[in-house]
Amino acid sequence: MPEPTNYTVCPRCECPRLEHVHSSPVPGVWDVLQCARCLYMWRTSEPARRTRREACPEGFRLREEDLAAAVETPAVPPLRGTL
Amino acid sequence: MPHDDLRGFLDALDKAGQLLRVTDEVLPEPDIAAAANAAPRLGDAAPALFFDNVKGFTDARIAMNVHGSWANHALALGLPKETGAREQVAEFVRRWEAFPVEPEWRENPPWAQNTLEGDDADLFRVLPLIRLNDGDGSFYLDKAAVVSKDPDDPEHSGKQNLGIYRLQVKGRRRLAIQPVPMHDIALHLRTAEERGEDLPVAITLGNDPLITIAASTPMKYEENEYGLAGALRGAPAPIARAPLTGLPVPWGSEVVIEGVVEGRRREFEGPFGEFTGHYSGGRSMPVIRVDRISYRTDPVFEHLYLGMPWTECDFLIAANTCVPLFQQLKADFPEVQAVNASYTHGLVVIVSTNKRYGGFAKAVGLRVLTTPHGLGYATTVIVVDEDVDPFDLPQVMWALSTKMNPAGDLITIPNLPVVELAPQARTPGIVDKLVIDATTPVAPDHRGTYGTPVRDLPETADWLTRLQALAARR
Repeated sequence: MPEPTNYTVCPRCECPRLEHVHSSPVPGVWDVLQCARCLYMWRTSEPARRTRREACPEGFRLREEDLAAAVETPAVPPLRGTL
Repeated sequence: MPHDDLRGFLDALDKAGQLLRVTDEVLPEPDIAAAANAAPRLGDAAPALFFDNVKGFTDARIAMNVHGSWANHALALGLPKETGAREQVAEFVRRWEAFPVEPEWRENPPWAQNTLEGDDADLFRVLPLIRLNDGDGSFYLDKAAVVSKDPDDPEHSGKQNLGIYRLQVKGRRRLAIQPVPMHDIALHLRTAEERGEDLPVAITLGNDPLITIAASTPMKYEENEYGLAGALRGAPAPIARAPLTGLPVPWGSEVVIEGVVEGRRREFEGPFGEFTGHYSGGRSMPVIRVDRISYRTDPVFEHLYLGMPWTECDFLIAANTCVPLFQQLKADFPEVQAVNASYTHGLVVIVSTNKRYGGFAKAVGLRVLTTPHGLGYATTVIVVDEDVDPFDLPQVMWALSTKMNPAGDLITIPNLPVVELAPQARTPGIVDKLVIDATTPVAPDHRGTYGTPVRDLPETADWLTRLQALAARR
Protein backbone atom coordinates (compact mmCIF):
# COMPACT_ATOMS: atom_id res chain seq x y z
CA MET A 1 0.00 0.00 0.00
CA PRO A 2 1.45 3.41 -0.92
CA GLU A 3 2.67 5.62 1.89
CA PRO A 4 1.02 9.02 2.11
CA THR A 5 4.38 10.62 1.50
CA ASN A 6 4.33 9.11 -2.00
CA TYR A 7 1.63 11.56 -2.97
CA THR A 8 3.05 14.77 -4.36
CA VAL A 9 0.09 16.23 -6.26
CA CYS A 10 -3.70 16.10 -6.20
CA PRO A 11 -4.91 13.32 -8.54
CA ARG A 12 -7.65 15.58 -9.82
CA CYS A 13 -6.23 19.11 -10.19
CA GLU A 14 -2.47 18.50 -9.85
CA CYS A 15 -2.11 20.98 -6.99
CA PRO A 16 0.96 20.18 -4.86
CA ARG A 17 -0.61 21.40 -1.61
CA LEU A 18 -1.90 18.27 0.13
CA GLU A 19 -3.14 17.91 3.68
CA HIS A 20 -3.33 14.86 5.89
CA VAL A 21 -6.86 14.58 7.33
CA HIS A 22 -7.11 11.21 9.06
CA SER A 23 -5.32 7.91 9.66
CA SER A 24 -6.91 4.45 9.80
CA PRO A 25 -7.95 3.35 13.30
CA VAL A 26 -5.88 0.20 12.66
CA PRO A 27 -2.46 1.84 12.42
CA GLY A 28 -0.70 1.94 9.07
CA VAL A 29 -3.50 0.63 6.84
CA TRP A 30 -4.51 3.82 5.07
CA ASP A 31 -4.61 7.61 5.35
CA VAL A 32 -7.10 10.20 4.16
CA LEU A 33 -5.58 13.09 2.20
CA GLN A 34 -7.10 16.27 0.79
CA CYS A 35 -6.15 18.78 -1.87
CA ALA A 36 -5.96 22.28 -0.41
CA ARG A 37 -7.15 23.86 -3.67
CA CYS A 38 -10.01 21.77 -5.15
CA LEU A 39 -10.82 20.05 -1.81
CA TYR A 40 -10.73 16.58 -3.43
CA MET A 41 -10.41 13.99 -0.67
CA TRP A 42 -9.29 10.39 -1.01
CA ARG A 43 -8.14 7.38 0.94
CA THR A 44 -4.71 6.07 0.06
CA SER A 45 -6.09 2.52 -0.24
CA GLU A 46 -8.45 3.47 -3.09
CA PRO A 47 -7.76 2.31 -6.65
CA ALA A 48 -5.15 4.23 -8.65
CA ARG A 49 -7.84 5.77 -10.87
CA ARG A 50 -8.91 7.79 -7.84
CA THR A 51 -5.57 8.41 -6.19
CA ARG A 52 -2.87 8.82 -8.85
CA ARG A 53 -2.65 11.77 -11.20
CA GLU A 54 -1.38 9.64 -14.05
CA ALA A 55 -4.31 7.22 -13.70
CA CYS A 56 -7.07 9.83 -13.13
CA PRO A 57 -9.50 9.66 -16.10
CA GLU A 58 -9.57 12.76 -18.27
CA GLY A 59 -13.25 13.33 -17.51
CA PHE A 60 -12.59 13.68 -13.80
CA ARG A 61 -9.61 16.05 -14.06
CA LEU A 62 -10.04 19.66 -12.98
CA ARG A 63 -8.18 22.78 -14.02
CA GLU A 64 -7.81 26.01 -12.09
CA GLU A 65 -10.16 27.74 -14.55
CA ASP A 66 -12.84 25.10 -13.84
CA LEU A 67 -12.72 26.09 -10.19
CA ALA A 68 -12.87 29.79 -11.01
CA ALA A 69 -15.87 29.24 -13.31
CA ALA A 70 -17.93 27.27 -10.75
CA VAL A 71 -21.45 28.72 -10.63
CA GLU A 72 -22.72 29.93 -7.27
CA THR A 73 -25.66 27.72 -6.25
CA PRO A 74 -27.84 29.02 -4.80
CA ALA A 75 -26.83 32.62 -5.40
CA VAL A 76 -26.18 34.69 -2.27
CA PRO A 77 -29.18 37.04 -1.94
CA PRO A 78 -28.93 40.75 -1.14
CA LEU A 79 -29.00 41.70 2.53
CA ARG A 80 -32.35 43.04 3.69
CA GLY A 81 -32.54 46.77 3.56
CA THR A 82 -29.82 47.08 0.96
CA LEU A 83 -32.09 47.27 -2.11
CA MET B 1 -45.54 -2.48 14.48
CA PRO B 2 -43.57 0.68 13.59
CA HIS B 3 -39.82 0.79 14.16
CA ASP B 4 -38.41 3.50 16.43
CA ASP B 5 -34.89 3.28 15.05
CA LEU B 6 -32.75 1.88 12.26
CA ARG B 7 -31.52 -1.03 14.39
CA GLY B 8 -35.06 -2.25 14.95
CA PHE B 9 -35.69 -2.17 11.22
CA LEU B 10 -32.44 -4.00 10.44
CA ASP B 11 -33.58 -6.75 12.85
CA ALA B 12 -36.95 -6.89 11.06
CA LEU B 13 -35.23 -7.12 7.69
CA ASP B 14 -33.03 -9.91 9.08
CA LYS B 15 -36.05 -11.89 10.31
CA ALA B 16 -37.73 -11.48 6.92
CA GLY B 17 -34.66 -12.76 5.08
CA GLN B 18 -33.99 -9.26 3.71
CA LEU B 19 -30.61 -8.51 5.31
CA LEU B 20 -27.39 -9.90 3.90
CA ARG B 21 -24.46 -9.76 6.33
CA VAL B 22 -21.13 -9.51 4.54
CA THR B 23 -18.73 -10.94 7.11
CA ASP B 24 -15.59 -11.27 4.94
CA GLU B 25 -13.12 -8.40 5.23
CA VAL B 26 -13.83 -5.77 2.57
CA LEU B 27 -12.03 -2.63 1.46
CA PRO B 28 -13.83 0.62 2.29
CA GLU B 29 -13.43 1.42 -1.42
CA PRO B 30 -14.45 0.22 -3.89
CA ASP B 31 -16.05 -2.86 -2.28
CA ILE B 32 -18.93 -1.39 -0.28
CA ALA B 33 -20.24 0.95 -2.99
CA ALA B 34 -19.77 -1.72 -5.66
CA ALA B 35 -21.80 -4.20 -3.61
CA ALA B 36 -24.53 -1.59 -3.08
CA ASN B 37 -24.41 -0.79 -6.79
CA ALA B 38 -24.99 -4.46 -7.55
CA ALA B 39 -27.61 -5.27 -4.90
CA PRO B 40 -30.76 -3.83 -6.57
CA ARG B 41 -29.97 -5.92 -9.64
CA LEU B 42 -30.96 -8.95 -7.57
CA GLY B 43 -34.56 -7.95 -8.29
CA ASP B 44 -37.66 -6.64 -6.52
CA ALA B 45 -36.75 -8.58 -3.37
CA ALA B 46 -33.10 -7.45 -3.17
CA PRO B 47 -31.79 -7.43 0.43
CA ALA B 48 -30.18 -4.74 2.52
CA LEU B 49 -26.44 -5.18 3.11
CA PHE B 50 -24.56 -4.98 6.40
CA PHE B 51 -20.77 -4.70 6.65
CA ASP B 52 -18.86 -4.92 9.94
CA ASN B 53 -15.43 -6.09 8.81
CA VAL B 54 -14.00 -3.14 6.91
CA LYS B 55 -10.23 -2.96 6.40
CA GLY B 56 -8.48 -0.37 8.51
CA PHE B 57 -11.48 0.28 10.79
CA THR B 58 -11.87 -1.27 14.23
CA ASP B 59 -15.61 -0.95 14.80
CA ALA B 60 -17.24 0.18 11.53
CA ARG B 61 -20.85 -0.85 10.94
CA ILE B 62 -22.20 0.16 7.56
CA ALA B 63 -25.74 -0.52 6.29
CA MET B 64 -26.45 -0.16 2.56
CA ASN B 65 -29.50 -0.72 0.35
CA VAL B 66 -31.87 -0.57 3.32
CA HIS B 67 -34.70 0.80 1.12
CA GLY B 68 -33.27 -0.76 -2.04
CA SER B 69 -36.09 -3.01 -3.25
CA TRP B 70 -39.87 -3.08 -3.29
CA ALA B 71 -39.69 -5.86 -0.67
CA ASN B 72 -37.69 -3.67 1.75
CA HIS B 73 -39.87 -0.65 1.02
CA ALA B 74 -42.96 -2.74 1.81
CA LEU B 75 -41.46 -3.91 5.11
CA ALA B 76 -40.68 -0.28 6.00
CA LEU B 77 -44.39 0.46 5.59
CA GLY B 78 -45.31 -2.64 7.62
CA LEU B 79 -46.74 -4.40 4.55
CA PRO B 80 -46.10 -7.98 3.40
CA LYS B 81 -42.83 -8.03 1.51
CA GLU B 82 -44.56 -9.34 -1.62
CA THR B 83 -46.65 -6.14 -1.94
CA GLY B 84 -46.22 -4.66 -5.42
CA ALA B 85 -45.27 -1.08 -6.26
CA ARG B 86 -48.76 -0.05 -7.38
CA GLU B 87 -50.32 -1.39 -4.17
CA GLN B 88 -47.67 0.35 -2.05
CA VAL B 89 -48.47 3.67 -3.69
CA ALA B 90 -52.20 3.10 -3.09
CA GLU B 91 -51.53 2.32 0.58
CA PHE B 92 -49.35 5.43 0.85
CA VAL B 93 -52.26 7.49 -0.52
CA ARG B 94 -54.62 5.90 2.02
CA ARG B 95 -52.34 6.62 4.99
CA TRP B 96 -51.81 10.21 3.85
CA GLU B 97 -55.48 10.75 4.72
CA ALA B 98 -54.44 10.70 8.40
CA PHE B 99 -51.83 13.47 7.88
CA PRO B 100 -50.73 15.19 10.04
CA VAL B 101 -50.14 12.90 13.03
CA GLU B 102 -48.30 15.13 15.50
CA PRO B 103 -44.97 13.75 16.82
CA GLU B 104 -44.38 12.90 20.49
CA TRP B 105 -41.44 14.23 22.53
CA ARG B 106 -39.45 11.46 24.20
CA GLU B 107 -36.70 11.64 26.82
CA ASN B 108 -33.28 9.95 26.86
CA PRO B 109 -32.56 9.51 23.18
CA PRO B 110 -29.94 6.81 22.58
CA TRP B 111 -27.80 9.25 20.58
CA ALA B 112 -27.16 11.18 23.81
CA GLN B 113 -24.77 8.39 24.94
CA ASN B 114 -21.66 10.08 23.48
CA THR B 115 -20.74 13.67 22.64
CA LEU B 116 -17.92 15.46 20.81
CA GLU B 117 -17.85 19.27 20.87
CA GLY B 118 -15.89 22.10 19.30
CA ASP B 119 -12.54 21.05 17.85
CA ASP B 120 -13.19 17.50 19.03
CA ALA B 121 -16.30 17.24 16.80
CA ASP B 122 -14.38 15.28 14.20
CA LEU B 123 -16.59 13.46 11.66
CA PHE B 124 -13.85 10.90 11.01
CA ARG B 125 -13.81 9.83 14.67
CA VAL B 126 -17.48 8.82 14.53
CA LEU B 127 -18.30 7.77 10.96
CA PRO B 128 -16.68 5.13 8.72
CA LEU B 129 -16.82 7.45 5.72
CA ILE B 130 -16.63 5.88 2.25
CA ARG B 131 -16.65 7.12 -1.33
CA LEU B 132 -19.41 5.95 -3.68
CA ASN B 133 -18.53 6.60 -7.35
CA ASP B 134 -15.14 7.09 -9.02
CA GLY B 135 -15.61 10.76 -9.88
CA ASP B 136 -17.07 11.93 -6.57
CA GLY B 137 -15.17 14.85 -5.14
CA SER B 138 -14.98 13.32 -1.67
CA PHE B 139 -16.81 11.12 0.79
CA TYR B 140 -20.46 12.09 1.08
CA LEU B 141 -23.31 11.78 3.57
CA ASP B 142 -26.34 11.30 1.33
CA LYS B 143 -28.91 9.60 3.51
CA ALA B 144 -28.99 12.02 6.42
CA ALA B 145 -32.14 13.96 7.26
CA VAL B 146 -31.31 17.63 7.79
CA VAL B 147 -33.51 19.66 10.17
CA SER B 148 -33.85 23.43 9.86
CA LYS B 149 -36.36 26.19 10.67
CA ASP B 150 -37.67 29.27 8.90
CA PRO B 151 -35.64 32.08 10.53
CA ASP B 152 -38.56 34.49 10.08
CA ASP B 153 -41.06 32.14 11.72
CA PRO B 154 -39.13 29.66 13.88
CA GLU B 155 -42.09 28.61 16.00
CA HIS B 156 -44.17 27.49 12.98
CA SER B 157 -43.75 23.71 13.04
CA GLY B 158 -45.09 23.37 9.51
CA LYS B 159 -42.39 25.61 8.09
CA GLN B 160 -39.75 23.55 9.85
CA ASN B 161 -38.07 21.17 7.42
CA LEU B 162 -36.68 17.64 7.51
CA GLY B 163 -35.08 16.86 4.17
CA ILE B 164 -32.36 14.77 2.57
CA TYR B 165 -29.62 16.74 0.83
CA ARG B 166 -26.25 15.65 -0.38
CA LEU B 167 -23.47 16.58 2.05
CA GLN B 168 -19.83 16.51 0.95
CA VAL B 169 -17.23 15.88 3.62
CA LYS B 170 -14.73 18.74 3.28
CA GLY B 171 -12.79 18.35 6.48
CA ARG B 172 -12.94 17.03 10.02
CA ARG B 173 -15.57 19.61 10.95
CA ARG B 174 -16.70 20.82 7.54
CA LEU B 175 -19.43 19.72 5.16
CA ALA B 176 -20.90 21.15 1.98
CA ILE B 177 -24.65 21.10 1.39
CA GLN B 178 -26.66 21.24 -1.81
CA PRO B 179 -29.86 23.20 -1.21
CA VAL B 180 -31.72 22.83 -4.52
CA PRO B 181 -33.56 26.16 -4.99
CA MET B 182 -36.94 24.37 -5.15
CA HIS B 183 -36.37 22.70 -1.77
CA ASP B 184 -37.47 24.03 1.60
CA ILE B 185 -34.01 24.37 3.13
CA ALA B 186 -33.05 26.71 0.27
CA LEU B 187 -35.87 29.03 1.39
CA HIS B 188 -34.59 28.84 4.98
CA LEU B 189 -31.04 29.59 3.89
CA ARG B 190 -32.14 32.45 1.69
CA THR B 191 -34.00 34.04 4.60
CA ALA B 192 -31.03 33.58 6.94
CA GLU B 193 -28.67 35.07 4.38
CA GLU B 194 -30.98 38.04 3.73
CA ARG B 195 -30.83 38.64 7.49
CA GLY B 196 -27.04 38.31 7.45
CA GLU B 197 -27.15 35.23 9.69
CA ASP B 198 -25.95 31.63 9.73
CA LEU B 199 -28.61 28.90 9.49
CA PRO B 200 -28.54 26.38 12.38
CA VAL B 201 -28.99 22.77 11.25
CA ALA B 202 -29.16 19.32 12.80
CA ILE B 203 -28.06 16.46 10.57
CA THR B 204 -29.51 13.14 11.64
CA LEU B 205 -27.96 9.89 10.41
CA GLY B 206 -29.20 6.33 10.68
CA ASN B 207 -32.92 7.00 11.05
CA ASP B 208 -35.91 4.71 11.21
CA PRO B 209 -37.05 3.84 7.69
CA LEU B 210 -40.21 5.97 7.70
CA ILE B 211 -38.34 9.08 8.81
CA THR B 212 -36.12 8.60 5.75
CA ILE B 213 -39.15 8.14 3.48
CA ALA B 214 -40.88 11.23 4.92
CA ALA B 215 -37.69 13.30 4.65
CA SER B 216 -37.37 12.43 0.96
CA THR B 217 -41.03 13.15 0.15
CA PRO B 218 -41.53 16.39 -1.82
CA MET B 219 -44.04 17.93 0.59
CA LYS B 220 -45.41 21.46 0.47
CA TYR B 221 -43.49 24.18 2.33
CA GLU B 222 -45.88 24.31 5.29
CA GLU B 223 -46.32 20.54 5.62
CA ASN B 224 -44.38 18.95 8.47
CA GLU B 225 -42.44 15.78 7.61
CA TYR B 226 -42.83 14.39 11.15
CA GLY B 227 -46.59 14.65 10.62
CA LEU B 228 -46.23 12.45 7.55
CA ALA B 229 -43.93 9.99 9.33
CA GLY B 230 -46.65 9.64 11.99
CA ALA B 231 -49.34 9.06 9.37
CA LEU B 232 -47.21 6.39 7.72
CA ARG B 233 -46.44 4.74 11.09
CA GLY B 234 -50.01 4.91 12.29
CA ALA B 235 -48.57 6.37 15.52
CA PRO B 236 -46.76 9.58 16.50
CA ALA B 237 -43.12 9.77 15.41
CA PRO B 238 -40.83 9.97 18.48
CA ILE B 239 -38.63 13.07 18.53
CA ALA B 240 -36.18 14.73 20.92
CA ARG B 241 -34.56 18.14 21.18
CA ALA B 242 -31.05 18.46 19.77
CA PRO B 243 -28.84 19.74 22.62
CA LEU B 244 -27.00 22.58 20.85
CA THR B 245 -29.53 23.99 18.39
CA GLY B 246 -32.77 22.96 20.10
CA LEU B 247 -34.01 21.60 16.76
CA PRO B 248 -36.46 18.68 16.85
CA VAL B 249 -34.67 15.53 15.69
CA PRO B 250 -35.70 11.87 15.49
CA TRP B 251 -35.44 10.17 18.89
CA GLY B 252 -34.02 7.02 17.33
CA SER B 253 -31.18 8.44 15.20
CA GLU B 254 -27.76 6.83 15.35
CA VAL B 255 -25.89 10.15 15.03
CA VAL B 256 -26.93 13.81 15.38
CA ILE B 257 -24.52 16.38 13.93
CA GLU B 258 -25.21 20.03 14.82
CA GLY B 259 -23.78 23.19 13.41
CA VAL B 260 -24.59 26.02 11.04
CA VAL B 261 -24.71 26.66 7.33
CA GLU B 262 -22.35 29.61 7.20
CA GLY B 263 -24.30 32.56 5.86
CA ARG B 264 -23.26 34.25 2.61
CA ARG B 265 -20.38 31.85 2.02
CA ARG B 266 -19.88 29.59 -1.02
CA GLU B 267 -17.06 27.17 -1.80
CA PHE B 268 -16.29 24.60 -4.51
CA GLU B 269 -18.32 21.39 -4.16
CA GLY B 270 -18.59 18.18 -6.17
CA PRO B 271 -18.84 16.57 -8.57
CA PHE B 272 -21.12 13.81 -7.29
CA GLY B 273 -22.65 10.87 -9.14
CA GLU B 274 -26.32 11.82 -8.92
CA PHE B 275 -29.80 10.27 -9.13
CA THR B 276 -29.93 11.32 -12.79
CA GLY B 277 -27.25 8.73 -13.56
CA HIS B 278 -24.79 11.51 -14.41
CA TYR B 279 -22.19 13.42 -12.45
CA SER B 280 -23.37 16.80 -11.26
CA GLY B 281 -20.34 18.84 -12.19
CA GLY B 282 -18.69 21.13 -9.66
CA ARG B 283 -20.37 24.27 -8.34
CA SER B 284 -19.86 26.87 -5.66
CA MET B 285 -22.13 25.85 -2.80
CA PRO B 286 -22.81 26.56 0.89
CA VAL B 287 -20.64 25.23 3.70
CA ILE B 288 -21.58 23.76 7.09
CA ARG B 289 -19.45 24.17 10.21
CA VAL B 290 -19.84 21.22 12.58
CA ASP B 291 -19.99 22.22 16.26
CA ARG B 292 -21.27 19.13 18.03
CA ILE B 293 -21.73 15.43 17.33
CA SER B 294 -23.95 13.20 19.49
CA TYR B 295 -23.96 9.47 18.79
CA ARG B 296 -25.00 6.04 19.96
CA THR B 297 -22.21 3.76 21.07
CA ASP B 298 -21.00 1.82 18.01
CA PRO B 299 -23.26 3.75 15.63
CA VAL B 300 -24.52 2.17 12.42
CA PHE B 301 -23.56 4.33 9.44
CA GLU B 302 -26.35 4.12 6.90
CA HIS B 303 -25.35 5.20 3.40
CA LEU B 304 -27.09 5.33 0.03
CA TYR B 305 -25.61 4.24 -3.28
CA LEU B 306 -26.97 6.13 -6.27
CA GLY B 307 -25.98 6.13 -9.90
CA MET B 308 -27.54 4.94 -13.14
CA PRO B 309 -31.14 4.00 -12.20
CA TRP B 310 -32.46 1.84 -10.68
CA THR B 311 -30.50 2.05 -7.46
CA GLU B 312 -31.62 2.24 -3.84
CA CYS B 313 -32.26 5.95 -4.37
CA ASP B 314 -34.94 5.18 -6.97
CA PHE B 315 -36.80 2.76 -4.66
CA LEU B 316 -36.63 5.35 -1.88
CA ILE B 317 -38.12 8.20 -3.91
CA ALA B 318 -40.58 6.32 -6.13
CA ALA B 319 -43.79 5.95 -4.10
CA ASN B 320 -43.27 9.11 -2.08
CA THR B 321 -42.88 11.22 -5.23
CA CYS B 322 -46.07 9.82 -6.80
CA VAL B 323 -48.30 10.53 -3.82
CA PRO B 324 -47.99 14.31 -3.27
CA LEU B 325 -48.35 14.90 -7.01
CA PHE B 326 -51.49 12.76 -6.99
CA GLN B 327 -52.90 14.61 -3.96
CA GLN B 328 -52.21 18.03 -5.43
CA LEU B 329 -53.68 17.20 -8.86
CA LYS B 330 -56.69 15.47 -7.35
CA ALA B 331 -57.50 18.58 -5.30
CA ASP B 332 -58.13 20.58 -8.48
CA PHE B 333 -59.06 17.76 -10.86
CA PRO B 334 -61.02 14.96 -9.17
CA GLU B 335 -61.00 13.14 -12.50
CA VAL B 336 -57.33 12.20 -11.97
CA GLN B 337 -57.05 8.45 -11.26
CA ALA B 338 -53.36 7.77 -10.60
CA VAL B 339 -49.88 9.29 -10.96
CA ASN B 340 -46.65 7.45 -11.69
CA ALA B 341 -43.68 9.71 -10.97
CA SER B 342 -41.37 6.79 -10.15
CA TYR B 343 -38.82 7.46 -12.83
CA THR B 344 -35.77 9.57 -11.91
CA HIS B 345 -37.56 11.46 -9.15
CA GLY B 346 -40.40 12.51 -11.46
CA LEU B 347 -38.41 14.00 -14.33
CA VAL B 348 -41.06 12.02 -16.25
CA VAL B 349 -44.60 11.95 -14.87
CA ILE B 350 -47.43 9.74 -16.16
CA VAL B 351 -51.00 10.69 -15.19
CA SER B 352 -54.23 8.81 -15.89
CA THR B 353 -57.42 10.84 -15.92
CA ASN B 354 -61.03 10.99 -16.97
CA LYS B 355 -61.82 13.84 -19.37
CA ARG B 356 -64.35 16.51 -18.56
CA TYR B 357 -64.41 17.79 -22.13
CA GLY B 358 -62.09 18.14 -25.11
CA GLY B 359 -58.67 19.51 -24.19
CA PHE B 360 -59.03 18.59 -20.51
CA ALA B 361 -56.14 16.13 -20.44
CA LYS B 362 -53.78 18.82 -21.70
CA ALA B 363 -54.90 21.10 -18.86
CA VAL B 364 -54.13 18.33 -16.34
CA GLY B 365 -50.70 17.87 -17.90
CA LEU B 366 -49.96 21.58 -17.69
CA ARG B 367 -51.00 21.61 -14.03
CA VAL B 368 -48.35 18.98 -13.28
CA LEU B 369 -45.71 21.48 -14.36
CA THR B 370 -46.80 24.04 -11.76
CA THR B 371 -47.06 21.78 -8.71
CA PRO B 372 -44.26 22.48 -6.21
CA HIS B 373 -42.37 19.33 -7.22
CA GLY B 374 -43.25 19.66 -10.92
CA LEU B 375 -41.63 23.11 -10.98
CA GLY B 376 -38.23 21.59 -10.39
CA TYR B 377 -38.56 18.10 -11.81
CA ALA B 378 -41.35 17.27 -14.29
CA THR B 379 -39.86 17.79 -17.73
CA THR B 380 -42.04 15.35 -19.68
CA VAL B 381 -45.65 14.66 -18.70
CA ILE B 382 -47.60 11.86 -20.35
CA VAL B 383 -51.36 11.95 -19.85
CA VAL B 384 -53.31 8.75 -20.49
CA ASP B 385 -56.96 7.68 -20.25
CA GLU B 386 -58.60 6.60 -17.02
CA ASP B 387 -58.50 2.93 -18.06
CA VAL B 388 -54.75 2.96 -18.66
CA ASP B 389 -52.64 2.06 -15.64
CA PRO B 390 -49.71 4.52 -15.49
CA PHE B 391 -47.66 1.91 -13.61
CA ASP B 392 -48.09 -0.57 -16.48
CA LEU B 393 -45.60 0.70 -19.04
CA PRO B 394 -46.81 -1.59 -21.87
CA GLN B 395 -50.26 -0.02 -21.44
CA VAL B 396 -48.70 3.45 -21.50
CA MET B 397 -46.86 2.54 -24.69
CA TRP B 398 -50.16 1.33 -26.16
CA ALA B 399 -51.67 4.73 -25.40
CA LEU B 400 -48.71 6.51 -27.00
CA SER B 401 -48.95 4.19 -29.99
CA THR B 402 -52.63 4.73 -30.70
CA LYS B 403 -53.91 7.89 -29.01
CA MET B 404 -51.19 10.44 -29.60
CA ASN B 405 -51.04 12.46 -32.81
CA PRO B 406 -48.03 14.78 -32.79
CA ALA B 407 -50.04 17.26 -34.87
CA GLY B 408 -51.98 18.40 -31.82
CA ASP B 409 -50.88 16.37 -28.84
CA LEU B 410 -47.40 17.68 -28.09
CA ILE B 411 -47.17 20.90 -26.12
CA THR B 412 -43.71 22.34 -25.63
CA ILE B 413 -43.19 25.22 -23.23
CA PRO B 414 -39.82 26.92 -23.43
CA ASN B 415 -37.59 28.01 -20.59
CA LEU B 416 -39.24 26.61 -17.49
CA PRO B 417 -37.37 25.98 -14.23
CA VAL B 418 -35.76 22.62 -13.54
CA VAL B 419 -33.38 21.28 -10.95
CA GLU B 420 -29.83 22.20 -11.96
CA LEU B 421 -28.87 18.53 -11.92
CA ALA B 422 -31.09 17.78 -14.94
CA PRO B 423 -28.48 16.91 -17.58
CA GLN B 424 -30.66 17.72 -20.60
CA ALA B 425 -30.81 21.46 -19.87
CA ARG B 426 -28.65 23.60 -22.14
CA THR B 427 -28.45 26.23 -19.41
CA PRO B 428 -28.49 24.44 -16.04
CA GLY B 429 -31.74 25.18 -14.25
CA ILE B 430 -33.77 26.09 -17.37
CA VAL B 431 -35.34 23.62 -19.77
CA ASP B 432 -38.14 23.33 -22.31
CA LYS B 433 -40.90 21.05 -21.02
CA LEU B 434 -43.22 18.70 -22.87
CA VAL B 435 -46.78 17.56 -22.26
CA ILE B 436 -47.90 14.55 -24.29
CA ASP B 437 -51.65 14.03 -24.54
CA ALA B 438 -52.10 10.29 -25.10
CA THR B 439 -55.79 10.26 -24.21
CA THR B 440 -58.74 9.53 -26.48
CA PRO B 441 -60.16 12.83 -27.75
CA VAL B 442 -63.66 13.66 -26.46
CA ALA B 443 -66.15 16.29 -27.67
CA PRO B 444 -65.69 18.95 -28.79
CA ASP B 445 -62.31 17.49 -29.81
CA HIS B 446 -63.24 15.14 -32.66
CA ARG B 447 -59.78 14.19 -33.94
CA GLY B 448 -59.00 10.57 -34.76
CA THR B 449 -61.07 7.55 -35.64
CA TYR B 450 -61.87 5.80 -32.40
CA GLY B 451 -64.50 3.10 -32.76
CA THR B 452 -65.43 0.62 -30.10
CA PRO B 453 -62.43 -0.30 -27.93
CA VAL B 454 -61.62 -3.87 -26.99
CA ARG B 455 -62.23 -4.42 -23.29
CA ASP B 456 -61.17 -7.25 -21.01
CA LEU B 457 -63.61 -10.16 -21.14
CA PRO B 458 -65.99 -10.08 -18.17
CA GLU B 459 -64.50 -13.35 -16.86
CA THR B 460 -60.86 -12.17 -17.06
CA ALA B 461 -60.56 -10.87 -13.49
CA ASP B 462 -61.75 -14.21 -12.05
CA TRP B 463 -59.36 -16.08 -14.27
CA LEU B 464 -56.47 -13.90 -13.17
CA THR B 465 -57.21 -14.84 -9.56
CA ARG B 466 -57.47 -18.55 -10.46
CA LEU B 467 -54.21 -18.51 -12.40
CA GLN B 468 -52.37 -16.69 -9.60
CA ALA B 469 -53.59 -19.31 -7.10
CA LEU B 470 -52.52 -22.13 -9.39
CA ALA B 471 -49.11 -20.55 -9.91
CA ALA B 472 -48.63 -20.09 -6.16
CA ARG B 473 -49.31 -23.81 -5.55
CA ARG B 474 -46.75 -24.97 -8.08
